Amino acid sequence: MHGMLCRTALFILVIYMILALLFYFLADEQLHFRSSQGNFGFPPADSGITELTADIIVEQRFTNKIQRLEEVSVQWGDSYHPNAGTVTLSLYDLESGELILEETFDASVIGEGGITTMKPSAPVEGFYQKPLLLRLVSDGQLGSSVTPWMRTESAGLEEVLRDSEINMGDLTVNGEWYPGILCFQALGTDYIWYGLHYWQIVAAGFFLLLLGMVVVGLRYRRGRRSYFINAIIAIEKYRFLIRQLVSRDFKTKYKRSILGVFWSFLNPLLTMCVQYFVFSTIFKNDVSNFAVYLLIGVVMFNFFSEACGMALTSILGNSSLITKVYMPKYIYPLTRVISSLINLAISLIPLMIVCLATGVHFQKSAVLSLYFLFCLVVFCLGLGLLLSTSMVFFRDTQFLWSVLTMMWMYATPIFYPETILPDKFRFVLEINPLYHFLKSTRLCILDGISPEPVVYIQCLLIALGMLLVGALVFRRHQDRFLLYL
Amino acid sequence: MDEKIIEVSDVTMRFRMNNDKILSLKEFVTTALTGRLAYQEFTALEHISFNVRKGETLGLIGRNGAGKSTLLKIISGILKPTEGSVFCRGNVVPMLELGAGFDMDLNGRENIFLNGAILGYDEAFLMEKYQEIVDFSELGQFIETPIRNYSSGMLARLAFSIAAVVDPEILIVDEILAVGDSAFQEKSKSRMLELMGGGTTVLFVSHSIEQIREMCNRVLWLEHGKAKMLGEAEEVCSCYGV
Repeated sequence: MHGMLCRTALFILVIYMILALLFYFLADEQLHFRSSQGNFGFPPADSGITELTADIIVEQRFTNKIQRLEEVSVQWGDSYHPNAGTVTLSLYDLESGELILEETFDASVIGEGGITTMKPSAPVEGFYQKPLLLRLVSDGQLGSSVTPWMRTESAGLEEVLRDSEINMGDLTVNGEWYPGILCFQALGTDYIWYGLHYWQIVAAGFFLLLLGMVVVGLRYRRGRRSYFINAIIAIEKYRFLIRQLVSRDFKTKYKRSILGVFWSFLNPLLTMCVQYFVFSTIFKNDVSNFAVYLLIGVVMFNFFSEACGMALTSILGNSSLITKVYMPKYIYPLTRVISSLINLAISLIPLMIVCLATGVHFQKSAVLSLYFLFCLVVFCLGLGLLLSTSMVFFRDTQFLWSVLTMMWMYATPIFYPETILPDKFRFVLEINPLYHFLKSTRLCILDGISPEPVVYIQCLLIALGMLLVGALVFRRHQDRFLLYL
Repeated sequence: MDEKIIEVSDVTMRFRMNNDKILSLKEFVTTALTGRLAYQEFTALEHISFNVRKGETLGLIGRNGAGKSTLLKIISGILKPTEGSVFCRGNVVPMLELGAGFDMDLNGRENIFLNGAILGYDEAFLMEKYQEIVDFSELGQFIETPIRNYSSGMLARLAFSIAAVVDPEILIVDEILAVGDSAFQEKSKSRMLELMGGGTTVLFVSHSIEQIREMCNRVLWLEHGKAKMLGEAEEVCSCYGV
């Protein structure tokens, strides 16, 4: 007993370290940087400043709120006349006068609405919160030079400037104040605090874990039981039972069908085919790689509805056992969710095949999608516990649940792009846990990037919250199940 | 042999019975609103206390509805008593009614493992005892057949074999010895006696006074949820018979 607890504790610590390391390598850039909050996009232009000839210098001052400046662009107009000569953009630090970036562009290729972009080979750092000066000069002649665009002081400008540190009066032409804002864009990334301190946080977590285990261990020595110890003992004791029940579920599910276990991956594939046909021909949409987009949704939602639907009837369906043999009652919903989990694992195979067939480039972030699937499983377990409890006392639950599942399906962007939702219904997505899991999974697989670290914590909290609620409700009522079966 | 393996102290079980069981939300709301959500208390067991020593066979007798099954459920941990407490040292194995832990679509072999797991045995133990179980059940080659094709006698034999071949510390037998043909009944009875001789504690419910008299050391006579008599088998049985 004692040895087993020590092994478990060691096992947990090792797993923790492996996960922390794995996450560090898989999350990559997204762990350290996020798109900067100080990014400044082009203000919509409504006028040109003046034709930029050799004797004109246009200067725009602004305070840089980007930690790692990655690109600075300017938008031009030419009134559709042919251009000649070059334009030069330069970016200075106003405090030290240091030249940060400079690039010269061929004016003849800049058309009406054309954009020139300065992109340093590595992000520029060290100018955060500093006043910068963007200078535009040219060697062109009147009539064949381009004109930088601007936004004059008019209605709506406050909206554009709201989050930036750019004021009216920061634009000058030959040193003279000019009423407007240059049409320019500055983009970059910011450091993420927990990305910078990742290893410290990991170490802190490690020591907290260690401390927790020591406390639990000491309590155990003194003969006191804690939830943690009880959980480990229960897992050890009922592992074989759970395995038997899961294999029973699995064997009987396809027992008398010819294709048997193949249904586990034919099912999502066929659902996807039907929905793919409907939503790519009848209701068109502009999602790139819609097949994979759809299949991820189908696989995850199928798991959700199957796990919850099976857990719902788990107590009632096993009433003949519950009234005769003692075992912890949570075993029943738990095994149902595990059975569905195996189905989910099998249905990942067709997903992989479709991904390869449609040319998705798997990045290492695809592995991270497993994390969100894990969150989904925990969430379903919590909900399943809640539903199975409710079902014992009110048999209406199953009918309510079937309606609710349908509503939930439409409230989750499975077969439609989330952009088609009007803004006033956005909140439906925000409060829908499935949406968060789904969005992050798609991001990991389809876009090949990891979500921001905070999303991981969010998803875990949602899942654990549901589990906690479900477990508490279940525990409170489980002694009374028998009277209602 | 004097170790107390089951201690039942002052157990009272009360059920709250609705006049009708309310199983839907609508019914619940409407009855609650009209103020008719009245409960009727029903006392299934009242202040029952007794101990069972290791290796003893305790018989439970009483008329239908006297609380025998409720008491067994409380001892095996399925029900929580309203008052009082039950303490058991060792694992309690109930001998299941026909097919309760069976899955009709699985074959005999798979059911042995499933049922064994439900009864709380671990894998290594079942592996070791597997052949013994099959032999005892006399099912032979039918063990690989899905049990939905079994006759009720075959099912009962399988159930009994699983529960009895392994050595439980506490065995609960609720009217099960009347299964199978007379040869198997004989065999199960002798196995039962063998178990009792080997130190298994048995709680035994039967309506057959003959069986009780034959197999039990002590008998608890329940009537309307109260312990009417607890004593030597011979003594209680003769009173009960009157």
